[in-house]
Amino acid sequence: MMVDFVLNGRAVSCDAPANILLLDLLRSELGVLSVKRGCEQGECGACTVLLGGRPVNSCMILAARVEGRSVTTIEGLRDEPIMVALRKAFMEGGAVQCGFCTPGMLISAYALLRDNPSPTPHEAKTAIEGNICRCTGYALPLEAILKAAEMTPAE
Amino acid sequence: MRPLPGFNLHRPTSLGEALELMGALKSVKPIAGGTDLLPLMRDRAITVEDIVDIRGLHELKGITVEDGTLRIGALTTLTEVLESPLVAEKASVLREAVGHIGSVQTRNQGTLAGNICNASPAADSAPALMVIGAQARVSSARGVRRVPVEELFAGPKMNSLGKDELVTEILIPELPSGSGAAFEKLGRRRGITLAVVNAAAYLAMDGKKCVDARIALGAIAATPIRLPEVEAAYKGRELTPEAIEESSRACYSLVNPVDDVRASADYRREMACVLVKRAIVKAHARAGGGQ
Repeated sequence: MMVDFVLNGRAVSCDAPANILLLDLLRSELGVLSVKRGCEQGECGACTVLLGGRPVNSCMILAARVEGRSVTTIEGLRDEPIMVALRKAFMEGGAVQCGFCTPGMLISAYALLRDNPSPTPHEAKTAIEGNICRCTGYALPLEAILKAAEMTPAE
Repeated sequence: MRPLPGFNLHRPTSLGEALELMGALKSVKPIAGGTDLLPLMRDRAITVEDIVDIRGLHELKGITVEDGTLRIGALTTLTEVLESPLVAEKASVLREAVGHIGSVQTRNQGTLAGNICNASPAADSAPALMVIGAQARVSSARGVRRVPVEELFAGPKMNSLGKDELVTEILIPELPSGSGAAFEKLGRRRGITLAVVNAAAYLAMDGKKCVDARIALGAIAATPIRLPEVEAAYKGRELTPEAIEESSRACYSLVNPVDDVRASADYRREMACVLVKRAIVKAHARAGGGQ
């Protein structure tokens, strides 16, 4: 069936069989490779995207059901001041090792700082509870998120 | 990568249309958030020919209060429950429990009604809903009925709904003043984890005397359970620390949990006592602490 939705601010229209997941539509049909295939059971968060502005696991969503909705990946947030600050803090703080979890973690961190510009360490932890990282032990990503909050200019 | 098996996706735009489809189709499941359904389908634990997407049913959205009853539409996400001022005011124990379900991503997608209909014995919302007397409004082309939340659980991952039935909302009665409720969960870690044991308690107090008590435990049996023996032991009593200690210990012999990868049966029994005690102490304080 045809599915029309907004991807990173641009209208897209694709043919998606009923059993195709948003994750597969993004990666295989639309070439959005920042969205990673991890556990495929909604546990690891590597495939996190914003759906209607909220972080969700794209492996847990039928592509046909995003009809009329807005999907955002890190590609669509490149120039957003919060994402610029997060990227800088992650790079300078060494919060990335293998990098597989990073796009999903950045999406979760972006949604946190957008809604809560000055999170507590606990709030930052909760925000990325659904993003599993097997390299860093979470300490440096958490530091980077709190650092990015300080760097982001208040609006 | 293992693709989902094929199925027909139906997208009705009204409840009537959805119920007609559910009645007419032979092998059918409704989908709301899909966070429990899709993994089961990919693992072939569930096979269906038809899926009815209920997201287009606007009558299933929103949280309202009518004649004191809190009504939570079946499309309400777990995040919406967490963020609702009405839930915080009228059913804070539900808010407390929902905060423990899955991750941010799961809560943004999954629904409260789905957490119940999935019928996991470890569903964190279940004990909380059970102790505050929540019911589900269940519709089909045949009619409408109200079912207490505990009766929706038939066995592990099995609900008691007919294949043509749909939960349309969760109904929570107004709680009397002088009452309080609390939820406790033990997991292997804090975030995104299944409960080893979870528990909820509700107490209504008249001065120092307990006039009503409800206790529920999850992840301890094939379905979440109430503990009528322990509830009866509290009623009419003054809840001294000794009385709470003694009656929560009674849980040990009343439950018969399983050994599994998350915990041994004996550990679950011990922890059931501990969580019931913690939930009772907290609910007691919230009910005014017998002042």
